[in-house]
Amino acid sequence: MPRWGMVIDLDKCTACQSCTVACRVENNVPIAGQRDSSNGRAIFWNEVIPVIEGDGTHLKGRFIPRPCMHCENPPCVQVCPVGATFKDAEGIVRQDYQRCIGCRYCTVACPYGARYFNWRAPEFAESHASYRNPDAPARPRPVGVVEKCTFCVQRIERARRRVAAEGRELRDGDVVPACVQTCPGRARFFGDLDDKHSQVSRLARSPRALRFLEDLGTRPQVIYLMEG
Amino acid sequence: MAMAKALIFRETIHRLERIGLGYVLLLLGLVGLVGWGASSYLSQQWTRGLWVTGMNTPAYWGIYIVNFVLFIGLSAGGILVAALVHAVGIERFRPVARIAEILAISCLVLATVFIMLDLGRPERFFHLLLYGRMSSPLVWDVIVINVYLAISMALGYFSTRADLIHCMRELPRRRWLYRMLSLGYTDLSPQALERDHRILRTLAFAAIPAAIGLHSVTAWIFGLVKARPGWHSALIAPLFVVSAIVSGLALVIVAVVVSRRAFRLPIADHVVKDLGLLLAFLIPVLGYFLFAELLTVVYAREPAPLAVFREMMVGSYAPIFWFNLLLGLLLPLLVLMNPPRRVVLAGSAVATGVVAIAVTRFEIPLAGLLPFLPTQVALGIPPTAIVAVFWAFGLALPLLLLVSPKGLTPARIGIAAALVVLGVVAERTNIVLPPLLERLMPYPAGPGYFPTLVEISIVVGTYALGVLAFAFLAKLFPLVELSHEEREAA
Ligand code: SF4
Ligand code: SF4
Repeated sequence: MPRWGMVIDLDKCTACQSCTVACRVENNVPIAGQRDSSNGRAIFWNEVIPVIEGDGTHLKGRFIPRPCMHCENPPCVQVCPVGATFKDAEGIVRQDYQRCIGCRYCTVACPYGARYFNWRAPEFAESHASYRNPDAPARPRPVGVVEKCTFCVQRIERARRRVAAEGRELRDGDVVPACVQTCPGRARFFGDLDDKHSQVSRLARSPRALRFLEDLGTRPQVIYLMEG
Repeated sequence: MAMAKALIFRETIHRLERIGLGYVLLLLGLVGLVGWGASSYLSQQWTRGLWVTGMNTPAYWGIYIVNFVLFIGLSAGGILVAALVHAVGIERFRPVARIAEILAISCLVLATVFIMLDLGRPERFFHLLLYGRMSSPLVWDVIVINVYLAISMALGYFSTRADLIHCMRELPRRRWLYRMLSLGYTDLSPQALERDHRILRTLAFAAIPAAIGLHSVTAWIFGLVKARPGWHSALIAPLFVVSAIVSGLALVIVAVVVSRRAFRLPIADHVVKDLGLLLAFLIPVLGYFLFAELLTVVYAREPAPLAVFREMMVGSYAPIFWFNLLLGLLLPLLVLMNPPRRVVLAGSAVATGVVAIAVTRFEIPLAGLLPFLPTQVALGIPPTAIVAVFWAFGLALPLLLLVSPKGLTPARIGIAAALVVLGVVAERTNIVLPPLLERLMPYPAGPGYFPTLVEISIVVGTYALGVLAFAFLAKLFPLVELSHEEREAA
């Protein structure tokens, strides 16, 4: 049983936002429009957070691409009163849209701000109809429930079906989430953290490796490689 | 003597059936407000989702949750008074015990209404029963609310039963109603009454730990969340218990003062005075807890909690914070302590003088005024805000204290109590909202939170629902327990 994890190399990230767009298309995340966006109603399964550091003369911009951290010890799962968000056997923190009662306790409890509430029913422009991903786990979520990054579970399932058809086991690199596939700087890596030889576990052992807000004890499974 | 008592008894009961114009108008007004709220809910929030509220990312929670916490807290006053009467046996509060119990029950019901209003998927409420997870403080709260509600209902039943049966005998037209409310248990023999009394005592004792549990668990919904620095504090549970008692007692006082007038209830002035005195003793305890929390954060200067408190004390939530402190705690305390006029005049002269100095030579005196603040924080306070609040305070204080030369009248106790309730509304707002806006990851600031008209209409409608229930119950049975002698005489 793999334990899925992601590594993001901040040195290679150019803040181009391709991951954000690829994720939106892959997972049918609605486009909020200007009014809703400025009112804080936009949904980002993946978001690139701009950080401006320094004083007036020595400014430095940093960018942090932020999916869900799929914490090993997820506060969101702990507080959900109905078990609508849960950790699956492969370490992915998933969401049951049929069970969620929309109390938003999990959004409050997530230290990373990775969870989003559907303030309204999702709308898709007519022109985008043909781009909608038909995969069942990625179908649009109804109004009033919470959603977030799933490490593209539908792609994991698809990879499983493919390797089964080919009659072999999953190998490192078989599963590629949309953000990893699209990243032009090749800053993102995905794989099994329990497999010592996988690319992600090798990178996770790098001296540059860091997990955000580690002192909260959430143990994120998204590991960042800091800028050198 | 016995004749007179019997007359009072009949009069009290028969007054229940007399319905005046004022009462009808009040009901109509309240029904109108409830209708307004309900139609806002149905036409807006129910059909379009929480999009119609002012909530957003990261202000995930808004005034619904503020009111949920507020009403959970307000329910404490009823249980406090009921416990004092039925468990400790403080007879002088018996005349207000029933009002207190009604308030406890209706506040709890309103709190559950508010939590329902907050859900994005209210129709899935039953999922809490079906899939409830014990790791969630929200589930603990559901359990403890239900236990507490059951205890308060039982308390209310056993302390009202005898009166219901008297009403049944006196008012034949409503016979069926009272029979239903008394659940068919119409035995008024001394043994039965003695048993009621024993049960009441047990229930009142059980209510005390249940109340502490209720307020602590409600606090832990917030206090156990490590992602929110302003909440993550061990002090939050005792703080909630104390603010619940203070606000609850204050609400009982307001309800007593108002309904005593409106329904001409036989509640003596000294009862109100004693309640006011009790409140005056409790306010400093709340102030102490707030101070302990504040000092710890401000002294340690850990960036995240300090940022929350900054937002609260000198940022956009500052007016709410200072209102809570000055007009919601300090002023009522002063009013209730009823100092002599000379002291008031001298005090406000000094206060005004201090403000004048602070205005002219701002930096030094202000840092001196607030020695517990690090200088940077103190200097960050927008001067105009401070000055305005101090002026308002300096003016309101003598006005309120000096309008009535008669000393501490029940009306003034009522005003002081109302200020305390408003102060706790402010406190609850500041507990819930500012920590949501502070994020641990370096996100750009969000749009902030301001409730929309829809949200406000729904909240006002829910308040009206509570008042409506109270007004309705006031005509259903006597708001003051019929005394033993009166019953005997009749
Ligand atoms: S990052 Fe947030 S949403 Fe994701 S698992 Fe951790 S706590 Fe849950
Ligand atoms: S919003 Fe949904 S997933 Fe989040 S805590 Fe509430 S029920 Fe659970």
